[in-house]
Amino acid sequence: MTWSRESKLNGFLVLLSVMAAWELVSRTEMLNPLFFPPMSKILRSFFSLVFSGEILAQILSSMRRAAAGYLLAALVCIPLGIIMGLFNSVYRALEVVIETARPLPPPVVVPVAMLFFGLGDGMKVFVIFFSCLWPILLNTMDGVRNIDRVLIHTARTFGLSQGRAILKVILPAASPQIMTGLRISLAITLILVVISEMVGSSDGIGYFILDSQRRLKVDQMYAGMLSLALLGYLLNQLFLLFSNTFLSWHRGMLRSDK
Amino acid sequence: MSLSNHERGSEVKSSGRFNFSGLALFAALLLLWEFSSRFTPAIQPYFPPASRVIHSLFQPSLARELFGHLLDTLGRFLGGYFLAAAMAVSLGIILGYFRFAYSLLEVVIELLRPMPSVAIIPVAILLLGIGNSMMVAVTVYACAWPILINTIDGVRNIDRTLIDTGRTFGLGRWKILRRIALPAAAPYIVTGLRISLSIALILVTTSEMVVGGSGLGFFILDEERSLHTSNMYAGIVVVALLGYALNRLFIAVETKAMAWHRGLTARGML
Repeated sequence: MTWSRESKLNGFLVLLSVMAAWELVSRTEMLNPLFFPPMSKILRSFFSLVFSGEILAQILSSMRRAAAGYLLAALVCIPLGIIMGLFNSVYRALEVVIETARPLPPPVVVPVAMLFFGLGDGMKVFVIFFSCLWPILLNTMDGVRNIDRVLIHTARTFGLSQGRAILKVILPAASPQIMTGLRISLAITLILVVISEMVGSSDGIGYFILDSQRRLKVDQMYAGMLSLALLGYLLNQLFLLFSNTFLSWHRGMLRSDK
Repeated sequence: MSLSNHERGSEVKSSGRFNFSGLALFAALLLLWEFSSRFTPAIQPYFPPASRVIHSLFQPSLARELFGHLLDTLGRFLGGYFLAAAMAVSLGIILGYFRFAYSLLEVVIELLRPMPSVAIIPVAILLLGIGNSMMVAVTVYACAWPILINTIDGVRNIDRTLIDTGRTFGLGRWKILRRIALPAAAPYIVTGLRISLSIALILVTTSEMVVGGSGLGFFILDEERSLHTSNMYAGIVVVALLGYALNRLFIAVETKAMAWHRGLTARGML
């Protein structure tokens, strides 16, 4: 293997030395080991939490909420976004309501949701749903609006009904931008599931991390964060895989354009 | 290596025309809220009439209290946002310009980036206590990511010819950076700054909810817990106005600062 100045190996070396330095300053108590437990201890508690299934259980209850809110938002917003993109009158009618609700930072919806849904799953699902609305809705609408008119006219010339035209022409043509909306919302979903679990919950990975901090089980707190990072990475990769398969026809078209 | 998460999101332009149907629907919803609450007293504790929310918004004592919380939130927001911008833009330029520097930090960046940034709150509480510095630190951490990634992307996508031209004309490193690299990467940096604007508000309100004390996030959660719901809704109205105003301000500054750029793109020609 040839080593270049810009090899990826550099990064791993840096990571390893950071971890080693962490271990050292913690063991020699240069930094308070209560706040910075030795790296080896964090990793040990990470693995024991993974193998005992505790982390998995927390992640599972988080993911259940995340999936429900996210899919609900997609199911509502993609059709609504298509309608708003096709019919300007519908967009105009909803514009003021949307522009009023959109600047609201999603965390402040948590207390309202707690009033209506209590501390259960419904509250988290609603909060996630609310915060995922905007990227999916607005990107879908934008995607539909930017469709080449020729495409729609062609569909009409060939006698496609409105419904079939939407399914066969408009949905595929707008799908790259719908995917962008879905991707932005995926990241937002993870943030909001953690927030809602921190503010009002008794399980889930967000609760687990904050609770570990409050009970000063600091190694568990870091272990929880590590698993959250891995989860985020995994979800992102899964999404990329899904959108690459789903949009492979689109990329093929882009290449032939060049 | 793929850094290309240059997510522009979508900006919906309103036509500026008087939107009758939009305002009518908005008014209809407000009326529906008002009357559904008035005629079903059972839900009033959760859902007070809109008029009562507006009324409490204009009560001098509450207005004063809200204004104090607003200032706290705004201060944390500004501190975190600008600190993040200064740090992330400079680091992003270095990492975008020098591939070696990027290769050093790549693995650490790829490891930390997918973690939802709010998860840093417990660590910040542990290290910094529950004061202002903790909330600002959390905001800096979260806001730095979009700005950093977009700045790196922007510097990398600079046309080589631009830099070579600068060199041909005998510009030094510093001049190339300031006169060529920074302006050329500016559209990307602005995108990062725009994404971070809403992230900053999310982090400030969340940390206020988690650690309490002061700020609009704390106020809203606290009023919910003591079942002063019309105050809670009043707080939410204020946060929404704050978000709206910050967004407007950003667009105004962006339009002014990036006018030269719009003139260069095809959009400006049509």
